[in-house]
Amino acid sequence: MFAAENGLKGDPRLEAISDAIRVIPHFPKPGIMFQDITPLFLNHKVFKDTVDIFVERYRDMAISVVAGIEARGFMFAPCIALAIGAKFVPLRKRGKLPGKVISEAYELEYGKDCLEMHVGAVQQGEKAVVIDDLVATGGTISAAIKLLECVGAEVVECACVIGVPELIKAENRLNGKALYMLVEPNEVQGCC
Amino acid sequence: MNALSQPLHLKISEAKIVSPLRSSVFTKPDFFTPNTAPASRSIYSRFTGGATVPERRRMSGAAMATSNVDATDDRIARIASTIRVIPDFPKPGILFQDITTLLLDHKAFKDTIDLFVERYKDKNINVIAGIEARGFIFGPPIALAIGAKFVPMRKPKKLPGEVISEEYSLEYGTDIMEMHVGAVQPGENAVVVDDLIATGGTLNAAISLLGRVGVTVVECACVIELKELKGREKLGDNPLFVLVS
Repeated sequence: MFAAENGLKGDPRLEAISDAIRVIPHFPKPGIMFQDITPLFLNHKVFKDTVDIFVERYRDMAISVVAGIEARGFMFAPCIALAIGAKFVPLRKRGKLPGKVISEAYELEYGKDCLEMHVGAVQQGEKAVVIDDLVATGGTISAAIKLLECVGAEVVECACVIGVPELIKAENRLNGKALYMLVEPNEVQGCC
Repeated sequence: MNALSQPLHLKISEAKIVSPLRSSVFTKPDFFTPNTAPASRSIYSRFTGGATVPERRRMSGAAMATSNVDATDDRIARIASTIRVIPDFPKPGILFQDITTLLLDHKAFKDTIDLFVERYKDKNINVIAGIEARGFIFGPPIALAIGAKFVPMRKPKKLPGEVISEEYSLEYGTDIMEMHVGAVQPGENAVVVDDLIATGGTLNAAISLLGRVGVTVVECACVIELKELKGREKLGDNPLFVLVS
């Protein structure tokens, strides 16, 4: 669900977050309107508000694991983990994590990729949230959910700053897990 | 007068009696390093591979019993003890310093960030530049806490939009680091953050990139220093602050 439908309707923080996201047309390839969140980090108040919204939501849910998806998920998830007293678990591309890992493959538009998590990072029965900057098809987040469930964790929710509504099924769930998103993608401003 | 042209002067703790055992464990702080002296670890130890249990640095019983145990030293000791060594990664002969186990210990992770925040807050630092990808884990929490912006320094073709690039040497070949045009402004003060300094090549590339657009890199900050690789020398006059070496 979008934050505005879930208690934050009219929250001025959401408008500022949306305004901080820059659209880069035709990146990484023609036809894609890339939602660039890097300007969000240049505005301390907006960055803090973004983290605060997630922290307010998750702080009393007994979450012990905040899993962040490489690489842009790394920019948000540790801040959330620190604030709610949870551990931060990086979910990384193939071959990056040095120790023993479990892997989950997922589809790209052309071909496959793989998400990995360290063995032993998460224990059975822990409650987890998955964080990324944006959810579109949900392939990466689905792989993240599978990794966590594989070790017996309970994925309470998946949270992203940006959600692409047309690509998310109407019930706003992914693999049965709730999705929480702050804003919709921006349109291109002006002529490009 | 730019306050940051002065060395980062940090409060030196009141004199304390350091037991001989502890002085062999901690390196002696100099003027530029704070009283948070890096914890020594024997990184190239007798570790012969196999099990991947964290190498735990033990404090002596005498040190533990001393009522003068510095709270900062305690934090650094805990941080050091959470770092896991993985032999032969990414290739044979390398002892990889894995910080993911630090991130699983909330207190150790919080203490890591706090130690950097204590050093940089109220020092007019405008920019925390984090190096992909592990610098993205430590950089943003520091930036948030000190009121600075966070600027990611990325591998090529990851940043959308207009970038400036810096090529730098690797052991074999070269790599490229990129930063967004307009992310930083001339005259700003920056700290560059990464999990670890090895040869210093990556940090030097970040310093160059930021310098090219008129930003002053006040210091580089890392959790771990691999002293044997002499990265500190490669940084030359650019200061380096680390927690564990």
